[in-house]
Amino acid sequence: MSRTGRDPHPVIACGEVRTCLLPTRDALDERAAVKLLRLRPDERVRVSRHPNRYVVSPEVLTGVDCPLPTDTGARVRAVGTVGSHASLVEGRVIQATASFSLPAVGTDRRQAWSYYLVRPGSLVPVGQLPQRALVRGFLLGHRPGRLDVGSIAESVLARISRQDRILDHDPPLTAADTRLRWTAVRTAAGEEPSSLFTKGEDGLRTLELSLPSGLPPTAAVGLCEELALHDWLLTTVADKLDGLPTGAADDRAVLRVLRPLVDHLLHLWMPRARVDRVLQTVWNQLEETPGYSRQWTAHAQRIRDQLALRAIHLRDEVPGRR
Amino acid sequence: MLVFAASDKGGTGRSVTSANLAYHHALDGSDVCFLDFDFGSPTAATVFDLPDVPAEAEGTGLHAYLRGAANEPLRIDVWSRTEHLDLRDRPAGSGRLVLVPGDRSGGEFVTGEEHLHRCVDLILRLHREFDVIVVDLSAGRSYAVDLVLAATSPRGGLAGLKHRWLVFHRWTRQHVAAAAELAFGPRGIVQAGAAMGHEPDVLRAAIRFVRAAVPDLESPPWSHVTPAQYAWMRHCDSTLETLASTRGVGRTWTLASIPLEPVLQWQERLITIEDVYDRQIANQATWDALIGLAQQLTDDTLWGER
Ligand SMILES: Nc1ncnc2c1ncn2[C@@H]1O[C@H](COP(=O)(O)OP(=O)(O)OP(=O)(O)O)[C@@H](O)[C@H]1O
Ligand SMILES: [Mg+2]
Repeated sequence: MSRTGRDPHPVIACGEVRTCLLPTRDALDERAAVKLLRLRPDERVRVSRHPNRYVVSPEVLTGVDCPLPTDTGARVRAVGTVGSHASLVEGRVIQATASFSLPAVGTDRRQAWSYYLVRPGSLVPVGQLPQRALVRGFLLGHRPGRLDVGSIAESVLARISRQDRILDHDPPLTAADTRLRWTAVRTAAGEEPSSLFTKGEDGLRTLELSLPSGLPPTAAVGLCEELALHDWLLTTVADKLDGLPTGAADDRAVLRVLRPLVDHLLHLWMPRARVDRVLQTVWNQLEETPGYSRQWTAHAQRIRDQLALRAIHLRDEVPGRR
Repeated sequence: MLVFAASDKGGTGRSVTSANLAYHHALDGSDVCFLDFDFGSPTAATVFDLPDVPAEAEGTGLHAYLRGAANEPLRIDVWSRTEHLDLRDRPAGSGRLVLVPGDRSGGEFVTGEEHLHRCVDLILRLHREFDVIVVDLSAGRSYAVDLVLAATSPRGGLAGLKHRWLVFHRWTRQHVAAAAELAFGPRGIVQAGAAMGHEPDVLRAAIRFVRAAVPDLESPPWSHVTPAQYAWMRHCDSTLETLASTRGVGRTWTLASIPLEPVLQWQERLITIEDVYDRQIANQATWDALIGLAQQLTDDTLWGER
């Protein structure tokens, strides 16, 4: 509960997930993936193999002492650390997330760093926290002089991209990055968890979550990463299919677009692979109304049909070849 | 692929031609990003018809980003923002076309390696999102030229990325000589690159020339001049060709000749198919030359050893 007692929806966490194709010709094997994501020498890279291969870097902390974004322009100073990490799905799609949680109650004055360091990934406001203004301001995006969580996530990606002993920078397709900016507040007593997802320009997505109390911020992070991954997959495949010539001409050009999708992306669709059990209903809401899975199935089917048709056509075109 | 657009002199047609080149690659289905690295006088916003962008880019453009004043540089989706009427409806099958605008925001670059790292990080990121990245560099052996030479050098971080240089010049004695000097002279790209660890032969093989605003003597108005004028111009043309080939700027190393185009003479802009066929204000030859340039740029068979 917030100290004012007036705000029934204390913020629990905010963050941004950036999703992109790993810049390599082939997907990375597990050993290379572990090496790539060793962002800290003192902590282990976590690997999970089911239902798909998923490698997560240790959490890296970035110390901040700056005003939080607010849509009213109110200046709220916050001090503490923003946590960030990267994860690699099937050696192919990389995600970087930066996020922080907020305690219900701030401190009256700035504390010594030792106070903040025992609260990793948490930003403590100095003074009152106007919760609604923070949520709205955060979703609106970065403004100069305010906390910029997106650039912390981007710097994780930049750091990984620089490892050119592991990365050949010769990806089989190009795809636009996406950014999912999210906030999570607590549901009021008796309320169902809910979500509001929007798609904006230039790969920007926002997600406003309202989650049951008692749920750790990491559960929200997991849900957002999962959504960001599937949204990225759908966006990328839809973008490649958009404007694909349909006539018999240009078989080879079409195959050049479709092959990499089959080789590298189609097997990555695996909704709910890592969503907390409590959040399955939120996931279902997010997935069902726009019909993401149905859309994905339709795209995948179209890709396979096109490939089969074009392959037959090409075979018939070339005399003496089978 | 990275494409560095350079020229020794200002006003050669580098920005306008390379913006048109980016446009043709996007029409062709590639995802294209145009970076305005002309720190002195960013002009790409004008060429792409984005009147509001210069103001928007103050403090958020490339210069601000490289100096560390902005965390991420502004990106403009050309298809959705341009005021050019022909470009408003993104053509079917086209790729993304994004401008990362420059800005005039004051302040010199800090010394040290910081801006180099920022440049490398940005290009690595764009490289995974775009098929073709066109970088418009300020004229001469400028700061921008040195920056990308350092970034693509063995220890710079972009050495593994395929990159090609286009040196633009006009078709006059001075311009031909100056283009050769910029590429191969003692203070030129190859020498400067070698000092940073580039393999000179490899760098030389990655440079081609583009002749801009070249009068076509076989079409009007040049074909309608007096016989004496015509003969004199022919003579100039062949003398220039000889000069060019002795300087290493001859036809073999020239990727395209863009004709002198009345529309571009009057206005810095993209030439569209509507300009050629519907309005009939631009010459078909210009359109064809730009298509040729786009094709040759990505044709690996033309980019062997020198
Ligand atoms: N093929 C052409 N025919 C006629 N005019 C042209 C042609 N190409 C470019 N121009 C014109 O020449 C002028 C200079 O071109 P542009 O601005 O592209 O040069 P630049 O090399 O980028 O110069 P700067 O170094 O000042 O940036 C512009 O007015 C442009 O419209
Ligand atoms: Mg220019």
